[in-house]
Amino acid sequence: MITETGLGAALGSAAELLRGLPRRRDGESAARAAVRAWAADHPGLDAELVIAPHPSSPVVDYDLVLAHPDGGTVTVTAQPEDGVPWLVDHSTHWAANRVLTVDGFDVTVPQALMAVRAAGARRPSLHRELVDHCLLYALAAGDTAPVTREETQAAADEFRRSRGLHDRAVTLAWLAEAGLTEDDLARHVDRYARVRRLRRRKERELGPALLAADPGRFDRVDALWALTDGEVTAARVARTLPVVPTVRMELTSVETVADALPEPMRGAAADERVGPVPYEGRWLAGLVRSRRPAAADVAARAAERAAFDAWLAERRAAADIRWHWL
Amino acid sequence: MILILSEPADPTVRLVLPKLLDRGADVLWWDPADFPARARLTAVVDGPDPRLLLHTGDAEHDLSAVTAVWNRRPGRPRAAAATDPEHRDRAESLARIHLAGFLDLLEARWLPARGRVLDAVHNKLTHLVPAVRHGFTVPETVFTNDPGALVPAWHRHGGRLVAKLLQPEECRVDGERHLVYTTEVGRRQLAGRHRVRHEPVILQPYVDKDVELRVTVVGDRVFAAAIDSQASRLTRVDWRHYEDESVPYTACELPADVAARCAAYVAACGLSYGALDLIRTPAGEHVFLEINPNGHWGWIEDETGLPIGDAIAGWLLAAEEDPT
Repeated sequence: MITETGLGAALGSAAELLRGLPRRRDGESAARAAVRAWAADHPGLDAELVIAPHPSSPVVDYDLVLAHPDGGTVTVTAQPEDGVPWLVDHSTHWAANRVLTVDGFDVTVPQALMAVRAAGARRPSLHRELVDHCLLYALAAGDTAPVTREETQAAADEFRRSRGLHDRAVTLAWLAEAGLTEDDLARHVDRYARVRRLRRRKERELGPALLAADPGRFDRVDALWALTDGEVTAARVARTLPVVPTVRMELTSVETVADALPEPMRGAAADERVGPVPYEGRWLAGLVRSRRPAAADVAARAAERAAFDAWLAERRAAADIRWHWL
Repeated sequence: MILILSEPADPTVRLVLPKLLDRGADVLWWDPADFPARARLTAVVDGPDPRLLLHTGDAEHDLSAVTAVWNRRPGRPRAAAATDPEHRDRAESLARIHLAGFLDLLEARWLPARGRVLDAVHNKLTHLVPAVRHGFTVPETVFTNDPGALVPAWHRHGGRLVAKLLQPEECRVDGERHLVYTTEVGRRQLAGRHRVRHEPVILQPYVDKDVELRVTVVGDRVFAAAIDSQASRLTRVDWRHYEDESVPYTACELPADVAARCAAYVAACGLSYGALDLIRTPAGEHVFLEINPNGHWGWIEDETGLPIGDAIAGWLLAAEEDPT
């Protein structure tokens, strides 16, 4: 139990703590760590750090929210005398509206988003991926439990593997090309580890029920399909499969779970032909060569991923999405 | 002769120069940054009418023949690079004095005004009071570096306070270039009130906007452009913020009394040109924010089609075409 005298001392200590925190975005981890240590020394105050970044600036403000011993909340805020004028403290980085500069030519945020929108014709999921990124990072930000060394390592390994960053030299070259520092990467990996933890938790929570409800969805299938620009070509392919005629097409032959097939083929039985059917702006013709129940672990993992995707799609559908620059 | 004082790369001059040449004007475009390193200025006072000579290396110009000066964006006098730094500072200081006096002797009409007039009008402290005296509605404005003024101002305006810079000045944060825009002062920002001591700020109530107006005055001609800054969240407080390309600009008509007030105010400031920033409130009131005596107009003409360049050319030519 904190007494009033104890609270007074704690408030003085809190002010000193806040005055010493690094007022920069890249100092947030250090600030959180300092506050965790302070909170451990002041049990009973339920200390929480509030971080308020200035828009378009590296500067951040902090508040420390505490429980009063008689009930209610006390918030402490403090800024040191560092000689920085008020308007400079609230100034805007010159490139706040720019994504990148190439040979002195700036690409503004609206221009970049227009480019993304144009690219969407070739890759329709691009805007959706940005929304998902936002949803996941917002959810993960609410998870304040420290990331373990194992989680960080797993996240870093996954991040590097997915980008082919197999050794330090390649990683450093990739960072240089992306305009990032090793500290930037470490911060990204920390956030990514939290997203990964969230993802795994939801997968384990939702996957088993989905598998039990529809096990055939996760059968092992051997399939091939072609994507063509015209219906006539697709019809010709559909007639000859598995023999592939010499026509312009994009051909895929794969052994996977049924759920990973293009949607029109997922329910097809062994030796069943599919198409021609319209699919993602083109025409699809396919053949499921074989279909059998998958190994238990493979089916379980596929069901987990599908369950997570469905859960995320629901969140996306319910989200209030605002594109600020378009 | 029309004398244009501006740097050689100034794109605004290129918007007007062809109009002057098309009308047969004798134009000299000179950048005072060439003086004293690459140009010579000689004033001979041997009677009431001094001889004023500019030698630019390839030609000598008798500036006594100048009828109008466009004081656009002159560079600061620069001494020869090889000079010892201390000597260079001294040479440039004397060059500034020499140049100012020399130009002051030109018996010509000036757009927007002579340098000393511009220096005075640039100062918001100086130009705000005459605006009130000319009948403009001006928000209560506090110029201060007193931290004790911040919270009372915030209370007086119901927590809807903005802070502005006295003059456009860049700054650096962690070595990176930063810009200062009109900034809302939220309750949280009061926690940094001690910072006001380090640099004067301008405190004003946030004025609700229907549209922002950029009013460009050339002589007695008034051109108004409406900037729908409220169309974008990013430009709601300061339309310059983020240069949002989705903010629409349109030519508009001011009420006759407001237009006349703008022209009279610019003249009273000793200017023949001025770019005024006004707000039209949702209630239809026109509120004066500031005047920029050498504000850019090329983008306004580009966005709205207002013939500001023609008006500037006409003003500069008026003395040549009608010397009476």
